[in-house]
Amino acid sequence: MLEMVVSTLTQGLIYAFIAYGVYITYSILDFPDLTTDGSFPLGAAVTAVLLSKGCDPYLTLAAALLAGALAGFFTGFIHVKLHIRDLLAGIITMTALFSINLQIGGSNLIIPRTTDTIFSAAPTMAVFGGLSLLYRKLIVVCLLALIFKILLDLYFSTKSGLLLRAAGDNANLVTALAQDKGRVKILGLVISNSLIALAGAIVCHEQRSFSATMGTGQVVFGLASVIIGISLFRKLSFVRGTTAVIIGSILYKACISAALSLGLPANLLKLVTAVLFLLVLVFSGRRGEEIIRA
Amino acid sequence: MLEIKNVTKIFNSGEATEHRLFQDFELSVEDGEFVSVVGGNGSGKTSLLNIICGNLPIERGDVLIDGKSIAKEKDFVRCRRIGRVHQNPAMGTAPNLTVLENLSLANNKGKRFGLSFGINRRRKGFYCEQLADLGLGLEDKLDVKMGALSGGQRQAISLLMASLTPIDFLVLDEHTAALDPKTAEVIMLLTDRLIREKKLTAIMVTHNLRYALEYGSRLIMMDRGTVVLDKKGDEKARLCSDEVFEEFNKMSIRVSDGELN
Amino acid sequence: MKKLNFKKLGCFALALSMGLSLSACTKAESKPYVIGISQYGEHASLDNCREGFLLGLEEAGLKEGEDFTVIYQNAAFDDNIAIQIGQSFSAENVDLMCAIATPSATACYAAAEDKDIPVIFTAITDPEAAHLDSGNVTGTSDKLPVEAQLDLIRKMQPEAKTIGIIYTTSEPNSVSAIAEYEEKAEAYGFTIETLGVSAQSEVTQAADTLISRGVDCLSNLTDNNVVGVLASILEKTGEAGIPVYGSEVEQVKIGCAAAAGIDYIKLGKQTGAMAAKVLKDEATCKEIPFETISEYGVYVNREACGTLGMEIPEDIAAVAIES
Repeated sequence: MLEMVVSTLTQGLIYAFIAYGVYITYSILDFPDLTTDGSFPLGAAVTAVLLSKGCDPYLTLAAALLAGALAGFFTGFIHVKLHIRDLLAGIITMTALFSINLQIGGSNLIIPRTTDTIFSAAPTMAVFGGLSLLYRKLIVVCLLALIFKILLDLYFSTKSGLLLRAAGDNANLVTALAQDKGRVKILGLVISNSLIALAGAIVCHEQRSFSATMGTGQVVFGLASVIIGISLFRKLSFVRGTTAVIIGSILYKACISAALSLGLPANLLKLVTAVLFLLVLVFSGRRGEEIIRA
Repeated sequence: MLEIKNVTKIFNSGEATEHRLFQDFELSVEDGEFVSVVGGNGSGKTSLLNIICGNLPIERGDVLIDGKSIAKEKDFVRCRRIGRVHQNPAMGTAPNLTVLENLSLANNKGKRFGLSFGINRRRKGFYCEQLADLGLGLEDKLDVKMGALSGGQRQAISLLMASLTPIDFLVLDEHTAALDPKTAEVIMLLTDRLIREKKLTAIMVTHNLRYALEYGSRLIMMDRGTVVLDKKGDEKARLCSDEVFEEFNKMSIRVSDGELN
Repeated sequence: MKKLNFKKLGCFALALSMGLSLSACTKAESKPYVIGISQYGEHASLDNCREGFLLGLEEAGLKEGEDFTVIYQNAAFDDNIAIQIGQSFSAENVDLMCAIATPSATACYAAAEDKDIPVIFTAITDPEAAHLDSGNVTGTSDKLPVEAQLDLIRKMQPEAKTIGIIYTTSEPNSVSAIAEYEEKAEAYGFTIETLGVSAQSEVTQAADTLISRGVDCLSNLTDNNVVGVLASILEKTGEAGIPVYGSEVEQVKIGCAAAAGIDYIKLGKQTGAMAAKVLKDEATCKEIPFETISEYGVYVNREACGTLGMEIPEDIAAVAIES
């Protein structure tokens, strides 16, 4: 039971990075970004290749961040400079990334157990070596999620962060402040997708594998986490958006765990998530539209 | 000084619905002037503002500020020297940010939006002062989300935000039209006071002929892309409402004639 | 309104924790082995694998209910769910994990790392490439008998020159099968015309393209996207008058002319026998190398061949199983 809770928490915290990213694009920037389904496996592909080439495990995280940033930049660039509609810009990047990911990592790439990951590399072992792998994963992931949550919260309170929030709220204001709203959008997409690629990288470390299809449905997951999180805490204004979406992500994963444990056929799992989604929306008194706008 | 020289603006150029709004349009506004622009629908008064602010590309001509062309500058670049208040109060502020955050953003206009903290606590006193000046009891609402305020309060803050940093021009785009008459009056008084206190050059497009007569140092009436009436200084002061109304009505009749053809 | 929300929330949390604790109860009795079967999705061949696996255990003298209990989960073809299934098996301390198809196998293997729970896989084409050839893991490969298939096609269509194959570029099994086809086709006098797709929706279009390029026949892999719309591919090839060769018996049943393919029940049985050895402590996974099925079956569909005006050569008719 405890182990189940620990592994579910670990999953929830890893995928919280997708929730962060989706929170920035959908919720803050009001940009329906579908790049997610491509940038997530991109992070994993880059990580898998670097790990199998013997690269330092921690360095792979930075590489994944960078790769995701590029993906986000591309979506932003074609949207802002080539005037492709937001949804289409994301679809184009996502589609392109599918092929690019196949080029980078092949259809499937597995990291042997003998290769060190961020969960088993010497520095991690030096600090958390006394813990079993299960708990070590939780601690490392928890630390990462917290560090990035704090970084994001700090960023949102900077001038640049404030401008990003304003851009989603009222793009016209950005122009009025003599700033290029296109650049702000690109910046938001870069941050968002680098976080999502980081999620892919951590999944790759944790699962020791990359598969080209692992990105499918991540946008939906991210959106669900964001909406669950924000809806649950919308009355509690002291709960920050980043905190809300972490909890949303954990709850989502917990529901799947619970459904699996209850012996629900996996074919019905999507239905369960849909029902969960609906319940949260109905009981929180929100029907979605404001969340997307908020 | 703002100069609009030889501007030609054609909508849907080359299509069956081609419409030539401005043909060699000329207008200049002196520093310190407060120009009210009136005119019927389709007279080109809002298009004029959009051309000044760079939201509407022009086919020919030039827009100059102090003799320097800004026609090639992007809208957001022009905004460094122009403050604009829109008809819709929601356009000028970010509804999900607090009043303090909105003001902090406006205070940084034209500067870099980098990674330093967005809110300078030491400026709080200054913001409170500025808000108190509006006389709407907003000084203790710094931490309230903008969206929770009334339309009039938001418009007052929009006005403040547009003029918080030094600007060359204040552009008012029917900024009282969406408010109830009483609030509109308050905002109009506030606008006049701000323009006087900060010695701003302003262009105000309005549907309200009374405001155009009562406020400002110059009145322009437009019809189908041309200036049909332009009075400033004493001439404007002597202008009586009947005269303007008559001119306005003539124009309206012409418009409906035009539509019949 | 606020109160109500929290009440609902409480109910929800309660249900959640009940679900979690319920799962903990299932492993109360310690005697029988607990086997977690993680299947990637529901699909005729994969189902046959599972069925065969259980038969294999039974043949080795282990009875379900008495000697072992089974927790069966399928991931509905979702990699993320496969991950959570693997972890739930690990949390429940199962004695052995049986993983059907690659994504489930990698997820189970990752989840088993901590406790070193043995993982037995099946329906993986290339365990070596998937790094599932060493460690506390073994199983069976469902590598296609490509040479047998080429031989079959040569015998069925002595004049044929090109074989068209549609495959999903992101399915590792398909990619490695294509490589083998291209390597071995020449020896049988064929050229291979391949067309990669990224989604099921592109498959029928790909079939049209291959037909228009004038291929003499199509050959299927065990590619999920392609097999999923096999019926509509058969409709198109039927009109064009060219045969489709399947890769297993289920495809021939749908209307493929013939197939040299794997019997997944047999493959499952082989896997079950390996699992029994591990459970009975006769050997560890490390000591058992993964196995590739050596036997394959030849299947023909006389009706489909008749419609296309194809004759079934004597030597094939003699060994083939008709469906």
